[in-house]
Amino acid sequence: MATDLAKPPVQAAPSEPGRASGRVPFRTALRRYRWLYLMLVPGLVYFAVFKYLPMYGLTIAFQDFVPFLGYSGSEWVGFKHFEALFTGPDFGRLMFNTLFLAVLTVLFVFPAPIVVALMLNELRVSVLKRSIQSLIYIPHFLSWAIVASLTYLLLAVDFGVIARFVHDLVGGPKVDYVAQPDWFRPIIIVQTLWKATGWGTIIYLAALAGVNPNLYEAARMDGAGRWRQFWHITLPTIRPTIVVMAILTSGNLLDASFEQIWLMTNSLNRSVADVFDTYVYYIGITQGAFSYSTAVGLFKGVAGALLIFGSNWLAKRLGQRGLF
Amino acid sequence: MKTTPRRLLAGTVALTTALLAAACGGDDAGRQAASNELTMMVPLFGTAPDPKGEVHQAVEKVVGKKLKITWVPNAEYGDKTNVVLASDEIPQVMVVQGKTAAFVQAAQAGAFWELTDRLDKYPNLKAKSEQAELNASINGKVFGIYRVRPLLRSAVLYRKDWLDKLDLKVPETVDELYEVAKAFTEKDPDGNGKKDTYGLIIPKWPTPVFCSSSPYNVIETWFGAPNCYGDRGGRLTPTFDTEEFYTANRWLKKMVDEGLVNPDFATLDSAKWNDPFYQGKGGIIIDVNVRASQMYGLLKEQDPENYGDKLAMGGNLKRSDGQKFSQPFDGYNGFLAVSKQSVRTEAELDDVLKALDRLATKEGQTLLANGIEGRNFKLENGFDVPVNDDDPAVKTINNDVDFAFIQLGTWATIGMGVYEQMPTNEAERENLRIRKELVELDLQTAVHNPALPIVSPTYVSKGAVLDPIVSDARVKYLAGEITEEQLRAEVKRWHESGGDQVVTEINDLHAELGGD
Repeated sequence: MATDLAKPPVQAAPSEPGRASGRVPFRTALRRYRWLYLMLVPGLVYFAVFKYLPMYGLTIAFQDFVPFLGYSGSEWVGFKHFEALFTGPDFGRLMFNTLFLAVLTVLFVFPAPIVVALMLNELRVSVLKRSIQSLIYIPHFLSWAIVASLTYLLLAVDFGVIARFVHDLVGGPKVDYVAQPDWFRPIIIVQTLWKATGWGTIIYLAALAGVNPNLYEAARMDGAGRWRQFWHITLPTIRPTIVVMAILTSGNLLDASFEQIWLMTNSLNRSVADVFDTYVYYIGITQGAFSYSTAVGLFKGVAGALLIFGSNWLAKRLGQRGLF
Repeated sequence: MKTTPRRLLAGTVALTTALLAAACGGDDAGRQAASNELTMMVPLFGTAPDPKGEVHQAVEKVVGKKLKITWVPNAEYGDKTNVVLASDEIPQVMVVQGKTAAFVQAAQAGAFWELTDRLDKYPNLKAKSEQAELNASINGKVFGIYRVRPLLRSAVLYRKDWLDKLDLKVPETVDELYEVAKAFTEKDPDGNGKKDTYGLIIPKWPTPVFCSSSPYNVIETWFGAPNCYGDRGGRLTPTFDTEEFYTANRWLKKMVDEGLVNPDFATLDSAKWNDPFYQGKGGIIIDVNVRASQMYGLLKEQDPENYGDKLAMGGNLKRSDGQKFSQPFDGYNGFLAVSKQSVRTEAELDDVLKALDRLATKEGQTLLANGIEGRNFKLENGFDVPVNDDDPAVKTINNDVDFAFIQLGTWATIGMGVYEQMPTNEAERENLRIRKELVELDLQTAVHNPALPIVSPTYVSKGAVLDPIVSDARVKYLAGEITEEQLRAEVKRWHESGGDQVVTEINDLHAELGGD
């Protein structure tokens, strides 16, 4: 490594406020760190080409877009599609379903990896710890189609293992779990927990590995028990990670997992299953209502952005370091 | 390793260039095809044929042009159609699978040549059935050469061994169907001493589109409800506005309640529809008659000796008062449309249509639907008899024909217009004979849908929101989640959410067409 690369420009320790050295004029900085800036270029190009340029397509939300006529040929209609969405019969239901799933995600899916990571961290036999960790993140690599098929196999009213167990052995009622609207959300949440928790623990375990062992030693000297150590050392050290993860998650809250929900939807549970993402797919791609579905997607995007800014602001208000 | 800044720079530049190239590439593919070339987009059900393959070469010879075919797997054909319509690379000839909203919008915006009254000049493209051509049109305007399908395909499949064991015969009325379903459920037709069978098998219908020839639609038609739309007091009325619709669903709900229908009818994957039948869990399927061939194949795998005795086929059923109404089909399945963007002038259009006309000759259609005579089949008494099926090259021909090129057939398809394959098994031959008889018989009582040629603008823009209202409510009613009152309320909601406008437009457009 050349010497000037050894000093990355931003190297503030978590506790340090502000930047390390005094302000350097941008030109000087540009010259001094030119190789680093150059390395930034591919990333910027990637975002420009694949994330920002396509946003041009959002204009069709304000048009009656006919693909054949293109962006320039289609008629401009202002906020017609947004009006149709907000006054339409589906909006309330979509909003409720999406938010309900989001709330359940925050309550159950978000804390799960933290809890599991903390529990794994307390394990002292490292072979056990590592094998458990590997085992629980395997489901992450299965596609939703497989998870959905497994669910059907377990829960099918006729031959599903769990359904049969509940009915034949426990003497419970014969329930068609996959068709009951009441069971839809629990199934979705359990599927997500099963698939995502193990993978989610990785980042927290990494954060936990970074805790300075000296702190534990010192605390033990002062007579702190296991619980005290956990409460006063472990948790505060991983708190920044939790906050960053929370802010990032908040932006995706409205992105209910499309594939998962699409695969679990049927005529009987559609009323609770429809969320913005499945609606956009169904209306936009399969029925060709491009403008309308773009309007729905844009609304969702704006709401997601607001959630990120909101939670970032909230984090700062609560005395945590925000994301930006 | 020590990395110098210069080397880093080189890497960065290379990566950036690659990204840019990836972003901007694929621009000049599919530009204006030369006049001796014909570009096409066609659905595919297997692996894409090799352009150097025997069938492709033979088709090129018939057409007299070099063919550039984009084969698109059927499962994603609809999505791909939308994407292609949005791009500026529309092939000259495109198989369009139906009057989807995206296609209708594109056609009305001028993306495709209107072919009304143009096709008569071409002897092989001239519509063989004016009704089918009208059905495939958009409000009377023809935008493609329709791909023919039998006008009637609905039938009922039964487990013959079960009927025989319980001493029952193939039902002719809905009441008899109910009795058979009840016996199949309660009288242990498979003789294993356990009550583990049921009568009717219904899958989760893959689309919430209301008019989709689902078993529900067929049963409603049997009870005298209109086939989607019907003339009631001089006005075209949707099927769920008639009392027959409710009578039919009450009858079906009774069967569901008594356990005569598979309990997972709302969730059973339609790709697994055959499974309960050949595995001996359920005994009745209401669907298209060609499903019988598929089913024979599955039954054969299980029991090569006696599989012929396990399947019986019946036609459409009479309702209790003896009146019979049969469910017909549209008579077409999509069409070949010619793009205005890549075929710019009348002269070019004439050139393309002449090429398609050559493809629509007897020779061409036989090639598309049967294959190459003397290579993969030979003619015997006017029937197609497969030959050399063990030869890998012939297997390729069969695959190319059955899973790909047959999609280009316009007046020939399986069971129509071409040489039919004669099954080797006696039972299957008998089934084929019965199938034809039933089709002729049921056509006499077919209830046609007068609204088929009509495309209502409101339906194009709102159909996706409207359709699931009633189709979901129907399933919920059958499952016992909502009452008949609530089902009627949902129908009312359909009307209020835009359905009323759809009905008005359909009636107006129908009047304009001079409909009877």
